[in-house]
Amino acid sequence: MNAASQTVSEEKRAPVKKQVPGSSGKRLFRKVEPYIWIAPSVILMAIFILVPILSVFRMAMSDVSRAGKIKGFNGLGNFSKVISNPSFSLVLKNTLVWTVAVVVLSTVLGFMLALVLNNKFRGRKVARAIVVFPWATTLVIQASAWDFIINTDYGTLNTLLMRIGLISAPVNWTPTPEAYFAWEIACGIFVTIPFVTFCVLSGLQSIDGSYYEAATVDGAGYFQKLFSITLPLVKSSLTVSTVLNIIYVFNSFPIIWTMTKGDPANHTDTLVTYLYKLAFYNGKQGEAAAVSVIGFLILLICASVYMIYTLRKGDDDL
Amino acid sequence: MKRFLALLLALVMTMALVACGSKTDTPATPDTPPASTDQPAPETPAEKVSLNVIAAQYGDLTKDWWANFQTEFNASHDDIDLNVEVVSWNDIYTVVNTRISGNTPPDILNIDVFADYVADDLLRPIQDFVSDETYAKFYPAFLEQSNIDGTIWAIPDLASARAMYYNADILEAAGVAAPPATWAELRDACEKIKAYDSSIYPWGVDMTTDEGQACFAYYIWNNGGDFTDAQGNWTLNTPENVEAVEYIVGMVKDGLTNSDPANETRYDLQELFAGGKLAMMIGPNQITNYVEGSANPINFGIASIPANEGKETASVGVMDRFMVFDNEDTDDKVDAIKEFFDYFYEDTRYSDWVIMETFLPATTTGGEIMAAADPAAGEWINIVGSARFYPTAKAEWADVKQGVIDVEQHALLGGDVAELLDTLQASLPN
Repeated sequence: MNAASQTVSEEKRAPVKKQVPGSSGKRLFRKVEPYIWIAPSVILMAIFILVPILSVFRMAMSDVSRAGKIKGFNGLGNFSKVISNPSFSLVLKNTLVWTVAVVVLSTVLGFMLALVLNNKFRGRKVARAIVVFPWATTLVIQASAWDFIINTDYGTLNTLLMRIGLISAPVNWTPTPEAYFAWEIACGIFVTIPFVTFCVLSGLQSIDGSYYEAATVDGAGYFQKLFSITLPLVKSSLTVSTVLNIIYVFNSFPIIWTMTKGDPANHTDTLVTYLYKLAFYNGKQGEAAAVSVIGFLILLICASVYMIYTLRKGDDDL
Repeated sequence: MKRFLALLLALVMTMALVACGSKTDTPATPDTPPASTDQPAPETPAEKVSLNVIAAQYGDLTKDWWANFQTEFNASHDDIDLNVEVVSWNDIYTVVNTRISGNTPPDILNIDVFADYVADDLLRPIQDFVSDETYAKFYPAFLEQSNIDGTIWAIPDLASARAMYYNADILEAAGVAAPPATWAELRDACEKIKAYDSSIYPWGVDMTTDEGQACFAYYIWNNGGDFTDAQGNWTLNTPENVEAVEYIVGMVKDGLTNSDPANETRYDLQELFAGGKLAMMIGPNQITNYVEGSANPINFGIASIPANEGKETASVGVMDRFMVFDNEDTDDKVDAIKEFFDYFYEDTRYSDWVIMETFLPATTTGGEIMAAADPAAGEWINIVGSARFYPTAKAEWADVKQGVIDVEQHALLGGDVAELLDTLQASLPN
């Protein structure tokens, strides 16, 4: 900074000092100042996040007509109706299977892919770009493509297998609801892997190569290096990707909606597709809001436990 | 303290993410901007009556048609400012409910359902908003479909009817002499087709969330059953209805239909039929255009929906409507709405629209024009004239519609049809 600009900045600061009367006022201002800076964000968050959340809670506890009119307070009536429906436990089970399977498998596969892409090889940049494709494509398009691949009558998988002579007649790849759900999970994993890969890759690239050199000198093998150096150092990236994935996958709607709409008989429904059907096909918006609240609370508990657990372990983890 | 604050902030951020998570993944918000957006907004003098219409998007040409309609209407009505918002069927219920929740319902709505809005006292009797001349054009049987307690709440905009489509070449090759007229003949024809070529699906069935209720109607109405009795009480678990569902589920289980009726919609079946992979299906009149417009049109025929022995065949009619919301309208507004309907149902304009949307007209005059222009359409107009309609005037229809789809899908998974229908019937007020 040169002398001229120093003078200007001192002049600018001077009137501020004069405006704060006495040392106690100055101390008060210093205490309040951060809150003033943060106020716009807090206000925006309150308007765009808290108000909708509260309105969903209000709707969940109200008697709502099919046309969307709130008719009055209903207490926990909507919740008891939802929970007493025999489909709900099936939907809850599906949601857990869907979230755990997609998050766990995509994390493992994404981590492995990141390790591969972290190596130096010819065409690495192209390979990284290709990995981004599934992430950059709309989920509805992805799900439609998967549906097209596995279709019994004109699917590309059957066509391919018939062309290379592995099968002689089309195979029905989705003979049961469970099989369909498994394909949906596969699609979910496919579209989630890129996100995990890039989170882990950013962590891998920040690891100093000297750690590995030192470990090699000490005679450490590949897996020792992986578990003692790589994993602890990318843990923070994995934490971020896992928490975000739990939330996104739990709330994911397009894959299941495009492929099966939760059919047959709720066997492939998750909470989100189920509440969408309740709201917009059955006209039960109060019950749909109750399902939404249940999902919100489940996620909030899971995510909070995870965040508290990782934050307690030290600031370095995040 | 710092740690506590950091924890609190992290929790708030997590909460925000949890709340926002679904937003990133849920389907896009209505991608159908108001039809008026193409035109620069004209200066509106204060005395102009503003008229807001939400119209359903039937096809690719709907938006342009309404945009053109709006321009012409506004040009010929200096005192009315018409604004038509065309919304896709996927979004229309959400859009309308959001508008109702926000106390800004449209003046006129074009949709299929109406009983829910009547239940909430949101509509005005339609006769107050339609001139006598226009009102006289509608088929009386169609108007009756919008009758609740003696009041007509909506007017039909168009209709469609269902019949059986069959691939004449496949039937002939399989040794089926004539299109099946009874359930026994249908099963026999399906078995012959399967024996002739196992790669062809003999019969198309759609039990999806999209339109499984139509499947239910096809079989119960052709077995002497119904959704309600003459007094309007729900009668879902009658022996006729149980037998009807068991018949079609049996066909699926015996491999005489498409492989996945719970996930294959009418549009999937239509594709299979046009591609010569499906021999017979029940569908609306639009299939004719679809098949004729395909690259290698198949040789197809149309016949009545097969009925059980000794039962009369019945077609399933589907009808959409216009309704007027109670927005405490002034006399000028009422006149403007009447003017809108007169303009829309003007015979030539109306038949152009119905033909463009490839549906069937809901007015006698429109029907005459269409029948004169196309004899095939004339046959369909006769079918729709005698078709039966869903009990959409009953407030529980949405529950019943999803309920029967659920019954069919559970039956496909091995559930007992009689028990499932008993449970559904017990869940309804009677």
